[in-house]
Amino acid sequence: MSASTIPAPPISETLAPSPPKRRRRGGGLGNRPGFLTYGLLGAFVLGSAYPLWWSFVVGSGTNRTRAETLPLIPGENFIRNAITVLDAVPFWLALGNSLIVASVITVSVVTFGTLAGYAFAKLKFRGRDGLMIFVIATMAIPTQLGIIPLFIVMRQLGWTGELGAIIVPMLVTAFGVFFMRQYLVDVIPDELIEAARVDGANQIRTFLHVAVPAARPAMAILGLFTFMLAWTDYLWPLVVAPQNPTLQVALSQLQSGYYVDYSIVLAGTVLASLPLLVLFVVAGRQLIAGIMQGAVKG
Amino acid sequence: MTSTLIPPPARTTPRRVVKEPLTRRQRLSRFDLKASPYLYIAPFFVLFALTGLFPLVYTLVVSLHDWQLLQGQGDFVGLANFTEVLQDRYFWNSIGNTLSIFVLSSVPQLIVALVLAAVLDQNLRAKSFWRMSVLLPYVVSPVAVALIFSSVFGEQSGLVNNLLGVVGIEPIEWKNDTLASHVAIATMVNWRWTGYNALILLAAMQAVPRDLHEAAAIDGAGAVRRFFSVTLPGIRPTFVFVMITATIGGLQIFAEPRLFDVSTAGGIGGSERQFQTSVLYLWEMAFFRQDFGKAAAIAWLLFLLIVGIGLINFLLSQRIASAEKAVGSRRERRRSKGARR
Amino acid sequence: MSLHRAIRGGVAAGAAGLALTLVATGCSSGGAAQDGDELTLSVTTFGTFGYEELYEEYEAANPGITISATNIDTGGNARTDTFTKLAAGGGLADVVAIEEGWLGSIMEVSDQFVDLRDHGIEERAADWVDWKYEQATDPDGRVIGYGTDIGPEGLCYNGPLFEAAGLPTDREAVAELFGGEDASWERYFELGRQYQETTGEAWYDHSGFVWNAMVNQLPEGYYSADGELIVEDNTELRERFDQLAAGTLDGLSAAEAAWDWNGGQSFVDGSFATFVCPGWMLGTITGKLEAGGGDATTGWDFANVFPGGAANWGGAFLSVPVTSEHQEEAAKLASWLTEPEQQVKQSAAAGNFPSTLDAQEQLAADATPNPVFNDAPTGAILAERAEGVQAQFKGPKDSLIQENVFGPPLKALDRGETDADAAWSQAVQLLGELVD
Repeated sequence: MSASTIPAPPISETLAPSPPKRRRRGGGLGNRPGFLTYGLLGAFVLGSAYPLWWSFVVGSGTNRTRAETLPLIPGENFIRNAITVLDAVPFWLALGNSLIVASVITVSVVTFGTLAGYAFAKLKFRGRDGLMIFVIATMAIPTQLGIIPLFIVMRQLGWTGELGAIIVPMLVTAFGVFFMRQYLVDVIPDELIEAARVDGANQIRTFLHVAVPAARPAMAILGLFTFMLAWTDYLWPLVVAPQNPTLQVALSQLQSGYYVDYSIVLAGTVLASLPLLVLFVVAGRQLIAGIMQGAVKG
Repeated sequence: MTSTLIPPPARTTPRRVVKEPLTRRQRLSRFDLKASPYLYIAPFFVLFALTGLFPLVYTLVVSLHDWQLLQGQGDFVGLANFTEVLQDRYFWNSIGNTLSIFVLSSVPQLIVALVLAAVLDQNLRAKSFWRMSVLLPYVVSPVAVALIFSSVFGEQSGLVNNLLGVVGIEPIEWKNDTLASHVAIATMVNWRWTGYNALILLAAMQAVPRDLHEAAAIDGAGAVRRFFSVTLPGIRPTFVFVMITATIGGLQIFAEPRLFDVSTAGGIGGSERQFQTSVLYLWEMAFFRQDFGKAAAIAWLLFLLIVGIGLINFLLSQRIASAEKAVGSRRERRRSKGARR
Repeated sequence: MSLHRAIRGGVAAGAAGLALTLVATGCSSGGAAQDGDELTLSVTTFGTFGYEELYEEYEAANPGITISATNIDTGGNARTDTFTKLAAGGGLADVVAIEEGWLGSIMEVSDQFVDLRDHGIEERAADWVDWKYEQATDPDGRVIGYGTDIGPEGLCYNGPLFEAAGLPTDREAVAELFGGEDASWERYFELGRQYQETTGEAWYDHSGFVWNAMVNQLPEGYYSADGELIVEDNTELRERFDQLAAGTLDGLSAAEAAWDWNGGQSFVDGSFATFVCPGWMLGTITGKLEAGGGDATTGWDFANVFPGGAANWGGAFLSVPVTSEHQEEAAKLASWLTEPEQQVKQSAAAGNFPSTLDAQEQLAADATPNPVFNDAPTGAILAERAEGVQAQFKGPKDSLIQENVFGPPLKALDRGETDADAAWSQAVQLLGELVD
């Protein structure tokens, strides 16, 4: 992959005086998007958001609310249903477990993914390309059968029933490594790394001062996605550590039985998605184009 | 220092580079340079060795034996499982379904994701809100997804059929007609993953230097032209990434077909396997037919298929994201020669 | 610089988290902490077993024993979980719930489960309906499960729909109508045709459940008592199939999607008038009815009759895997949970029907009316319907044959796309391909 070089400014700009160049990244060209754009976006967001709203509406109604074709107004039962959920399942324990699992996995995936992605993208070492292809290839294997041998491994290690068994298989993902590599390969100019090295920085300092600031938006995305993935995982936590249930496992109990009250089930799922929504708000800020700090000024 | 008046002593030994022993600092630096890359990628490979390698080898071993799920390991049968699977018409049916659903989902998804990312890349009001909203589908629980889409695509009184009825179109049998079921499932997949891919592309777009956009604009390029000449080439590595992960994910679709039809408890994806994807077939083979050996063989065959198609898509995405780059640089060359329109 | 510190902080947090995890993992409690009489027993159930309060009761009565219970939402996921652990060679709980549908497969590896005769089950054998005890007995005579609940089948019907067709609506009259003790499938289909001619509507929701009941009733189903596959040249099976096919092709089937029923609406809009009802199905129908916008006024009722005689669908057992480190204690717990007294409590909590005779008598005596089903004394009716059921040998691929071999041809019949001969041929062909 070619590293991006900063192109020579076009003649037009050198001939005519131009406004001071802000090395601002992204953001298109700054002209205000029109009504059509917002309209289309709005439609898209409506389609994306309705099912969640539907979950809330049914979750605040009764089982009968399901019979409506297009429920729009929430009912009054949400608090009542939520309390039923909190009573019926070990909600707080499961919430805590989910938070631990998802947070540890996220920090680990982002950290090691960025490290490895950086190495694959910018450092030269023997076997680099071959190993990268290997990493990508590991994603191509269907993992559904893997629960059996993975369970065997966990039993051998004596970790069944513990949160560690849920966490360890996901500590570093090929997705994370691949994603960071692709992002970093163009985003960090080779010159910057050279410059840092010339300045006497060792590898880790280069990584921390050049790569990481540049990688921040991607790290935010990767972190968010990894957290969501770990948060919504169901089958593996169910099989390997049901005694330490994560939120998804705990909530699924509401669905058991011949008579299922979906209003309670959905109230539960809404509760479970609240932490994710909070995370959205936090992560959203990271994705706004901003002036790049640190490295580029060099 | 010796004075320059006295000539240096004549060389008696052949000229060679004097290798002075490296200082500790220099040695550390050398080590740092050589070893760091391996250290940085080590966590992935160590963890893989622990939790990824064993399942791989295990599945391979299983595929070479007559292995029933509960009874355990049987006789070694070499490639018999593979040949049986390759002669199994349900396997090919599942491949056909998989490819069909894959095309129906990834093509629109990637196009929409690209467009969406480009739209979100602009200077919108309430950026954060718009950008995060497209991720909402991912948050919705599988229960809700199953209920909603089952209802929307219900054959008797589903929303879509109702709308079609308004326009005078006959109700479509979403769960019985093969192609219709593929469309329905592709819709479920697209709904869930488009925003996800859009945000990945957005992150890359945000990293494209604004100067390039400005330069192109000054040259008279409209928004669409800029998209193809500046944006796409600028996000090429990430675009490649999205193509590859969408390919891999698209060929492994499992959750949606499983959720779509509650009636067929046997995991066969529709009463006549209208929408049984390969992973669903694998699941049926392992947990219902309990033939673990064949299921493992299916997994490996699927792996080969994914690698093959992944490779094709990789080359394709390289072309898509670079075709315009040649034009862009031609323009630059022209400009720097001073030729202006 | 703040970013640098932030990154460092992040890495530190991650490392700390990792360390915490590994430490927590390291000093795990393992399966059960044993300290003198201190003991933790793990139990895995699925669906609604209604054991929550019973666990508390047992713990109170047996200080030193803690119960760590896991309830998995659906039978499907529970099956995945159980089979995964069996395939992995271990990891099952001390007490595991097994569904009747998997029994065939489990019997293939029945040696993975403790022979409960070593823990005194024979002394209790008379507690259960005999066929339930027989079901849990493997070909070598080992008894591997304590029966929990059963699914004796009665006939659900819709009063208003019957009335509109000129049929009696009173529960007992309906039972008479279908033949009472001598109720036969012939009569069932005959009445169905009558209904269809009068009202133009379907009689049953789809062929699958009817087929299920027809097969379950036979002394030998898909497998002979010796475990041989007996589908292809099975004349009795073929007869019943033809009977069903004839009825379906005459328009008696509403071709519904099982478990969905158009979001429950089909129970409300009169798509079908009768329904195959094992005890637990009453709960399912109640839920679907509500989701479809209906309720008790929709008029469903429950009659003490079933075509072809006594039939059972479903039910579960509690078993103890040999990998359990506390077999004696686990067996004691499982045994206690399945005693008549506890089964009555379970029934109240979960709505399932007990398999022990005393519990059944209790329910029959209470005769609690079920408001959704026109105040029918469902407990009492089910107790009577449980009499005379024959234990049928379930082979290893029984549920596979039911779902994936006969499912598609029956569906095709429902949709009118095939005839009886072609459908049977399709089934035989599928049998050859899917079951070896």
